[in-house]
Amino acid sequence: MNFGRWVAIYGPTYLTALGWTAVTAVGAACGALIWGCALLLIRLSAGRWGARGVDAYVQLFRNTPVLLPIYLIYFAFPMIGLPWPAVVCGGLALILQNGAYISEILRGSVNAIDRVQFDAARSIGLAPWSTFRKVVLPQVLVYSIPALGNQTVLLLKDTSLLSAISITELTMQAKLLTEQTGAAYEAFIVVALLYLLLVSGTEVLFRVTHRAVRWR
Amino acid sequence: MIVVRGLQKSFGTARVLRGIDLDIADGEVVALIGRSGCGKTTLLRCINFLEEYETGEIRLDGEDLWYRATPDGVRRRVSEVEARRMRQQMGIVFQQYNLFPHMTVLDNVLLGPRFAQRVSTAEAEALGRRLLARVGLEAKMSAYPAQLSGGQQQRVAIARALAMRPKVLLLDEITSALDPELVGEVEDVIRSLLSDRIMMVLVTHALGFAREVAHRIAYLAEGAIVELGSPADILDRPKDPGLKEFLRRVR
Amino acid sequence: MPPGSLALLAQGAAVSLLLAAVAIVGGTLLAVLLAALAFSRFAVVRAAYRVYVYVVRGTPLLVLALLVFYAMPALDLRTGPYIAGTLVLIVYTGALLAEVFRGGVLAIPRPQWESARSLGLPPVPLFRKIVAPLVTRYTLPPYVNVCVMTVKASSVLSIISVWELTLAAREIIERTFAVFTILGLAAAFYFVMCFGIDRLGRLFERHLALKGFAGERA
Repeated sequence: MNFGRWVAIYGPTYLTALGWTAVTAVGAACGALIWGCALLLIRLSAGRWGARGVDAYVQLFRNTPVLLPIYLIYFAFPMIGLPWPAVVCGGLALILQNGAYISEILRGSVNAIDRVQFDAARSIGLAPWSTFRKVVLPQVLVYSIPALGNQTVLLLKDTSLLSAISITELTMQAKLLTEQTGAAYEAFIVVALLYLLLVSGTEVLFRVTHRAVRWR
Repeated sequence: MIVVRGLQKSFGTARVLRGIDLDIADGEVVALIGRSGCGKTTLLRCINFLEEYETGEIRLDGEDLWYRATPDGVRRRVSEVEARRMRQQMGIVFQQYNLFPHMTVLDNVLLGPRFAQRVSTAEAEALGRRLLARVGLEAKMSAYPAQLSGGQQQRVAIARALAMRPKVLLLDEITSALDPELVGEVEDVIRSLLSDRIMMVLVTHALGFAREVAHRIAYLAEGAIVELGSPADILDRPKDPGLKEFLRRVR
Repeated sequence: MPPGSLALLAQGAAVSLLLAAVAIVGGTLLAVLLAALAFSRFAVVRAAYRVYVYVVRGTPLLVLALLVFYAMPALDLRTGPYIAGTLVLIVYTGALLAEVFRGGVLAIPRPQWESARSLGLPPVPLFRKIVAPLVTRYTLPPYVNVCVMTVKASSVLSIISVWELTLAAREIIERTFAVFTILGLAAAFYFVMCFGIDRLGRLFERHLALKGFAGERA
């Protein structure tokens, strides 16, 4: 059957999968952002050993493929008494991986922003946590928006790897449809287009946010 | 000699050059002065075709440059090969970032003769050393540009331009980006070239230097040559009110 | 640790490295071609380049791999996954490197272009003596980055049955359930490869810097 008809018939089955992709992406992105901020805080406040620890963590996740933590958590957690659902396992792996990259992005922003401001805040007696929360973090986050946007796109694409642990997101759905209908080209071209849509949408979202929030 | 007639150039809708007529005689030095945006740099860049232009002619020693009229009257760009040949008759030095950072000073100077003019390695090297000695930098022959001061880099750039044995030297504000104490050494090199009787067109803000080396100075405003004359005429006896204001501001 | 698994993992690592190497070589050649297209005089060609990069970078590598794997029945089943996988990696690496090279060309300061043009340099010496050396020096760090990304990307091919380090690890785990040990070892192999490439890259950068180029950029 031709492309148009195939899409009309099987298109809607992508919707649930699309939902899963979106939910895991958004969830993992938020989690990774929080985790990245936590890593940044550790790096800034825990002295030399804190910084070294974060460095080691970052190096580990930068030099290993993301499939490994996904498999590790998915296979190992049930073995150690944590039979969490696949989505949670996969999401956790994505959070751990992307948190590393995000902490590096934030670190770059910290270095780029004038340290004088942070020192000024500390010297007027703001407690370290307040300084971090009210002075450092907001500026660092705003400055990092473009780079965070890039990272989010990468995370979005990484959700496709969750198909390896049987989560029915977009890529898995395409595989299933291929096996059901034999229409490999159609199934994967539609999925590719959906991903391109999601990616472009994310990029637009970040660009708009960046413009709206910038004050310099 | 160089003849420019009716040169007009626009960037999009903005007219940057409105009909320039200029003759440069053999061995003459012409300085182009004026406010930023008056078109002096654009004029320079049109002469060696770094910018295209819509109307007008540029002739070097009688040869039409850059555009030819085809038999059916259509104005056509010359081929890339021809353009390269024509460009080799001119040398240009920019304000900065002239030199190729990954080559030694000598290799920078040799590049043109060896690869564009097919001069033999031995001859090119001899030429290069001679020119570097002329600008006082033979000792730095094996150094890399990053190891040189701004003034030294500009002197090498001049040597490199001269290595092509050009008929005309185009100088685009070559001292504007230099620290003040380095300007003198570059100006000295230009002074020493006067005896070579090579045509020069220099865009400059340094009016004192222009007075010294230029045979004629052209004051440009809004894309046209408003006044043209000897340095004494232009700098001491300006007629155009715009020029008077410009001189007052700069002094 | 189950007997023989270390050797198996080592073999898998060798395959991963080989896959990455082929992808990097092929990708570099493809990228030079693509980057040339990116600067073409014809708007259509430039647009085609942008579409290519947009699609390859916007689609997950796994989807590209599955598309090629499932939708190319013309391939001999015996070597199917390997050829499909290598092709996809080359396409992927090519797109990434093309953008890197394009950035490198754009980083060359304008006066240097214009000096080269004003000297009347013909295209071949222009490329050989000016463009290639400068672009190489400007793009070395991002190029090394892409090499590391390619090694990591090779693990995705495990999902289309290309036997390499990740698939080797999975197979051992499914037999023996020694999850932590095996994945830990696999991680160690990847780490050594990726970190090693990164360090080699830095050494090479330092070597180039010693040859005088201090990185003058606009």
